[in-house]
Amino acid sequence: MNAMSKISSAIAIAAMMATTAMPMLTAPAQAATLSGGFDVGPGGFQGNFNPLAATSGFTWLSVYFEPLVTYDEKLQKVVGLLASSYEVSADQLTYTFKLADAKWHDGKPFTAKDAKFTMSLAQNAKTGSVLAARLTAVSSVEAADDKTLVIKLSAPSSSLMDTLTKVMMLPEHALSQIAPDQLAKNTWWSTTPIGTGPFKFTRYVTDQYVEMAANSDYRGGKPALEKVINRYFANPAAAIAALRAGEIQFTYVDSNDLGAFKNNKDFRIIEGDSFVVNYLGFNHDSPIWKDARVRQAVMYAINRDAIIQSLYGGAAKTANCAYVSEQVVPKNIEPYAYNPEKAKQLLKEAGWDQINGNKPITLLTYYTTPLAANVMAAVQAMLGQVGINVTPRAVDTPTYNSIVLNPTPDTSQFQMVYAGLQNGPDAGSINVGLNEKQIPPAGPNVARVRMPELTKALDVALGETDAAKRDARYQEVCKVMNKDLPWGTLWVANRYGVASAKLKDFVWTPAPGGGPYQAHPEKWSIAD
Amino acid sequence: MLQYSLRRLLIGAGMLLALSMLIFVMLRLTPGDPIDAYIDPNVPMSPSDLVELRNTLGLDAPPPVQYLAWLQQAVMGNLGYSIKRPDQPVLSLVFSRIGPTVLLMGSAIIISIIAGIASGMISAVRRNSVVDLSFSLFAVTGISSPPFLSALVGLYLFSVYFNWLPSGGMLTPGRDFSIADLLHHLILPASLLAVAQTALIMRYMRSSMLEVLNQDYVRTARAKGVYEFWVITKHALRNALLPVVTLIGSTIGLAIGGAIFIESVFNWPGMGLLMVDAVENRDYPVIMGSTLVIGACVIFVNILTDLAYAVIDPRIKVG
Repeated sequence: MNAMSKISSAIAIAAMMATTAMPMLTAPAQAATLSGGFDVGPGGFQGNFNPLAATSGFTWLSVYFEPLVTYDEKLQKVVGLLASSYEVSADQLTYTFKLADAKWHDGKPFTAKDAKFTMSLAQNAKTGSVLAARLTAVSSVEAADDKTLVIKLSAPSSSLMDTLTKVMMLPEHALSQIAPDQLAKNTWWSTTPIGTGPFKFTRYVTDQYVEMAANSDYRGGKPALEKVINRYFANPAAAIAALRAGEIQFTYVDSNDLGAFKNNKDFRIIEGDSFVVNYLGFNHDSPIWKDARVRQAVMYAINRDAIIQSLYGGAAKTANCAYVSEQVVPKNIEPYAYNPEKAKQLLKEAGWDQINGNKPITLLTYYTTPLAANVMAAVQAMLGQVGINVTPRAVDTPTYNSIVLNPTPDTSQFQMVYAGLQNGPDAGSINVGLNEKQIPPAGPNVARVRMPELTKALDVALGETDAAKRDARYQEVCKVMNKDLPWGTLWVANRYGVASAKLKDFVWTPAPGGGPYQAHPEKWSIAD
Repeated sequence: MLQYSLRRLLIGAGMLLALSMLIFVMLRLTPGDPIDAYIDPNVPMSPSDLVELRNTLGLDAPPPVQYLAWLQQAVMGNLGYSIKRPDQPVLSLVFSRIGPTVLLMGSAIIISIIAGIASGMISAVRRNSVVDLSFSLFAVTGISSPPFLSALVGLYLFSVYFNWLPSGGMLTPGRDFSIADLLHHLILPASLLAVAQTALIMRYMRSSMLEVLNQDYVRTARAKGVYEFWVITKHALRNALLPVVTLIGSTIGLAIGGAIFIESVFNWPGMGLLMVDAVENRDYPVIMGSTLVIGACVIFVNILTDLAYAVIDPRIKVG
C-alpha cells in the first residue's frame, strides 16, 4: 500500500467517524436517582412551576407541594394529606380541617395561617389562579388556631373537596411580600420554591429537567431515593426512546406505542382509567341534528366494539352515556349495538335526504395522534356506509378552542366534534360540557347542548349534598343522556405508563390533569 | 463610509420594524390565542374562568394598542415575559438559546465540511472503487433523507439499539457540567444534522475534483515526477475547493431548517425548540422576541459583510 492509499484510508475512516457516531464512555448510573418523564402525555404540564396556574401537571407538583386533601391511589375517595382529619357540618356549610404536624422545606412549621394565605391566593384571580372560579362558594376561611382551618361556604358544594385536592399549600413567610398581580411573574417558583412534600427543589435547567433532593425531615419518613429528576421531552416518542435507552425509568406511553414493552421483563406496564369520555359532539346549533332519530342513527352506525378491539387493542369500555363506572350507569339503558340497517331505517324515517343528504359535514377534533387519525377514518367510513358524509379535520388545541369556544361561532366549521371530557373521579365534572348554562362564553358546552331535562338532572345531581344519594342522581343524568343523545358517546379508554422493572413501590395512575393522588413518593425506590 | 454605515443601520432598523409588524399581524391572523392554548379540552375549564388572565396579559386590548404597547417596551429593550413561563423574561430566554443552537449548527457545519471534502476527494481519487461506490450510496441516501427521518433512524440506532449515545438533552441531568458530557450529547444530533450537507458537499467535491484531475497542469505535475500525495493536495485540491466553498455558504440555510427538526427530536435546548414550543402555545411575546432577535442578527451580519467587502476589495465603492 503506498502512502497515498494509507492517507486516503485514514481520511476515509475519519470521515466515517465524523458522520456516524462513536460510542463514548458512559458514566455509571447514579445511585438512588429516579429520572422520569413525569410531565409527558395528557396529564403533564412541562415548564409550569406554579400550582395556582396548573390545569394539569399535578403528578410532578405533588412530589414537592402538598394539598390539604388528595385522592386515594385508585381515585375513588378524597383522603387527608396535610389535613390529618376533617369534618363537614350537617348543613354542609362548614368544613373543619385538623392540620398535620408538617414543616416547610426551610424548616419553618406549616400552620393554619399558611393554609388561609394559600386559599386567599387561590380565590384571587389576580394571582393568575385558575381555581378562583371554582372557589366562589367559599365565603370565609379562618385559622381557628395554628393547627385548625375552618372553611365556610355560602351554599353547599359537592365539588369543593375535589377542588381542594388541587390547592397546593404555599408558604406565607416566603410569598406574602409579593403583590398578588406580580406573583405569577416572580422567579421564586422556578428558583427557590419550598413546599412540605417528600422532595425539595434543587434546580431547574431551562427546558431540560427539574431536579429534587430527598427531604430528610419529611413527616412520612426519610425518602428512599436521594434524587428525583423530571426530564422534559418535546414529544412522547423522545421520552420512549430515553426509556428504552435506560436514561429514564418512567414515562407516559400512548397505547399504540406499548408493543415494545409488552412481554419485556425489563419494564412494567401500568394501566389505568383515563376518566375521559370520548364522544361525537353534535353541534346543536346546526339544524341537521335536530331530529333525535338522526342522532340515534349515528350511534347505531358506528361499530364501537370493532374500533375498540382493532384500534385500542381492547383497552377501552364502550360508553352509552358520559359514564362507564357501574355505580352511576343504570341498568336497562339502550346499548346502541352496531346495527347499520337500523341506522339507515332511522335516517329514512327522519328524511335525512331532505335534511342534509350527502353534503359533507365537518368533524372537527384537537386529537392529532395517529390513533385518533385512525379512529376518525373508521368513523368516517362507518357513517359513510349509512349515508352520513363526514369530513374529519384535525387542528391544534388553540385553533380548536378558538373555533368551538367562540361566542358567535361559525357552525359550518364544526357541525360535529370528536372530543373528550373528564367524567371523574368527581362525576360532576361532566356538567360543564352538557349544562345549558355552560354554553360559551360562560362555559365549555361546545356542542351547545340545550336540553332542559338534562340540565335539570345535572343541576339536581350537583346540588345533592347527601353522598349516599349522589350516585342515583348521576344515574338519572346517564339515563337522560342515553335517551336524548346530546352527544354520540363512544368510549372511555385506558391510558398507560411504563416503568422500569427496577422501580419499587412506584405508584402512578393516568389521572386527569395528573392528579393529585396519594403517590407516596417517599416510598419509591430503585434496585441497583 | 460613516455616512454609508449610518444609512445602512437606519434601513436595518426600518426593516426590523416592518418585520415586527408583519409577525404581529400574522400572529393575530393565526387561529387561537395564548388563552386558547391554555385550556385543555379534556379538563373542564370555562373561558370565563380565564377572563382575568386575559386582562392581565393585555389580550383584551385592540390589536394596534397591543402592538404599540409592545413596541414601546421593545425599544427600551424589554421584550416582555413569556406567557407559558410567566416568570421568565423573553430576552433572557432567547439569549440562553442562541448558544446551544450556534454550538449545534457550528459543529454540524464543521463535521460536514471535513467529512464532505475528505470523502469527495477520496471518491474522486479512487473513482469507481468500492470506497467510491459506498460513499456515493451514502450521498444519495443522505441527500434524499429528510432531517426528521435521519434523526429518528439515528436516534433508534445509536441510542436505543446500540445504546452508545444519549437520546436527547444537552447535559446529563443531575450531573455537574463537563465538556466531555456536552460532547457526548452533541455528537449524535450534530452528526445527524450534518448528514444531508455532508452528502451534498461530497457530491460537489467529487465532481469538481474529477474535473481538476484531468487538467493539463495536474498532468504536467505528474510528468515532472511530483509525488502523488502532493499532486492531489497541493495542485488539485486547492483548485477543486473553489466551487465547494461557494456551495458551503449557500447550504448553511439547510442547517438552520434541519436544526429545528433535530432540536425537537433530541430535545436540544436551542432556538428551534423554543420557537416550535412558542408557536404551539401561541406564546406571542416569545415568538415576537425570538423573530426580532434572529432578524436583527441577520440584518447586522449583512451590514457587516457589505462593509467588509468594501474594506477587503477597494474596487467596491460604498456610499
